[in-house]
Amino acid sequence: MDHTVSMLPVALVATLEQVTNAALALDPELRDRLRTMEGQVLGVEVIGLGIRLYLIPTHDRLRLLDRFDGAADAMVRGSPLSLLRLNASANAERLFGGEVVVEGDPEVARQFQAVFARMDVDWEEHLSRITGDVIAHQIGTGVRGFLDWGRQAAATLGRDVAEYLQEERRTLPNREEVERLLSAVDELRIDSDRLEARIRRLDQRMGKAGD
Amino acid sequence: MSEEQIDFGYQQVPRDEKVRRVAGVFHSVASRYDLMNDLMSFGIHRLWKRFTIETAGVRRGQRVLDIAGGTGDLAARFSELVGPTGEVVLADINNSMLEVGRRRLVDRGVVGNVEYVQANAECLPFPDDHFDCITIAFGLRNVTDKDKALASMNRVLKPGGRCLVLEFSKPVAPGLSPLYDAYSFNVLPRMGRLVTGDADSYRYLAESIRMHPDQETLREMMSRAGFSRCEYFNLTGGIVALHRGYKI
Repeated sequence: MDHTVSMLPVALVATLEQVTNAALALDPELRDRLRTMEGQVLGVEVIGLGIRLYLIPTHDRLRLLDRFDGAADAMVRGSPLSLLRLNASANAERLFGGEVVVEGDPEVARQFQAVFARMDVDWEEHLSRITGDVIAHQIGTGVRGFLDWGRQAAATLGRDVAEYLQEERRTLPNREEVERLLSAVDELRIDSDRLEARIRRLDQRMGKAGD
Repeated sequence: MSEEQIDFGYQQVPRDEKVRRVAGVFHSVASRYDLMNDLMSFGIHRLWKRFTIETAGVRRGQRVLDIAGGTGDLAARFSELVGPTGEVVLADINNSMLEVGRRRLVDRGVVGNVEYVQANAECLPFPDDHFDCITIAFGLRNVTDKDKALASMNRVLKPGGRCLVLEFSKPVAPGLSPLYDAYSFNVLPRMGRLVTGDADSYRYLAESIRMHPDQETLREMMSRAGFSRCEYFNLTGGIVALHRGYKI
């Protein structure tokens, strides 16, 4: 088989790798944590966008590859939104809450998630060494505002999409409806158990009467 | 009895003469090899090598052989990926290139799991079924007996292992060939003279690329050497192709 390959995605991922490692270089603790995961391969697939990325921590950096023709230790699949929210949340609940599918070793996926949720680099501290405290603080406030807005926007968008699908389009049931359905199913199951018991008792009684 | 003639660029030379001349080319360019690669390919050779790493799928604990590893670009990456439990062997027939490679990797802190071996690809000095992955990047072209080299690589590869050959090939993108010819026969040797003071070596480079088997031919050669599931990836319009075959 022959394939024609574009170098563009390779170049983009190479750039992304550089940017990520520049950020990691500013957080020694995070780098140490990544070092304990040396050689683990995590695949991330963004469903709907057809994007796949592989993350491999090495002793001094994080390698990103846009393809990896071997077996990954863990593969995480999710919509852009669920992956984004996964990244922003510090607990593992979302990872195992069903929004994101994990294949392979879940422990590896959890370790990566813990690292990325922590990847909150103190840019201001590093910037102040170059620009002095006052300017660094001003820039820092601006950037923080922007990042918080981004996080908030992602969370709001998530809520809005859920609300739209549940309330407007009625494509998905809301929590109450699901709970109502579940308790109705439970009741039905109990009723049918009772009915079965009653039939058995009647059966026994008729058996005795016939004797 | 007249000795068998073999191509050295566009010239025909006796078999032993090619080994000597190729060695001469690389002794001459070793110290500025990377700079020239960057200039000649506009830096794209880094992406070609990156793609090779991605396609190799090397994991921690594996044993990798990089033949004609030159200045150690691939070996450095493999060393990271296999980690302390793995092993990378950087082999080159040319001691100048090997010495430059070793110095560069040590300077970059790549130590501990890399071995350096001066070896001829036609008769690799390793046991059978030894490596998980073998790569040869821009090296097969300079090997005197390519079939013998591929068979030797197949022998030292473990069953299930893969062999990757990154090499200049035949441009397939429409309209690319004339441009590429003009560039490699007019611009390249001049650039070579400016940077390394050696235009002849770079003329040899351009000629040897034209004499190298095209994509399909190389794939057949790999199959003949015993590799299975052989396939190739055309990079940058086929100027370079990455071939991959498995030992099954």
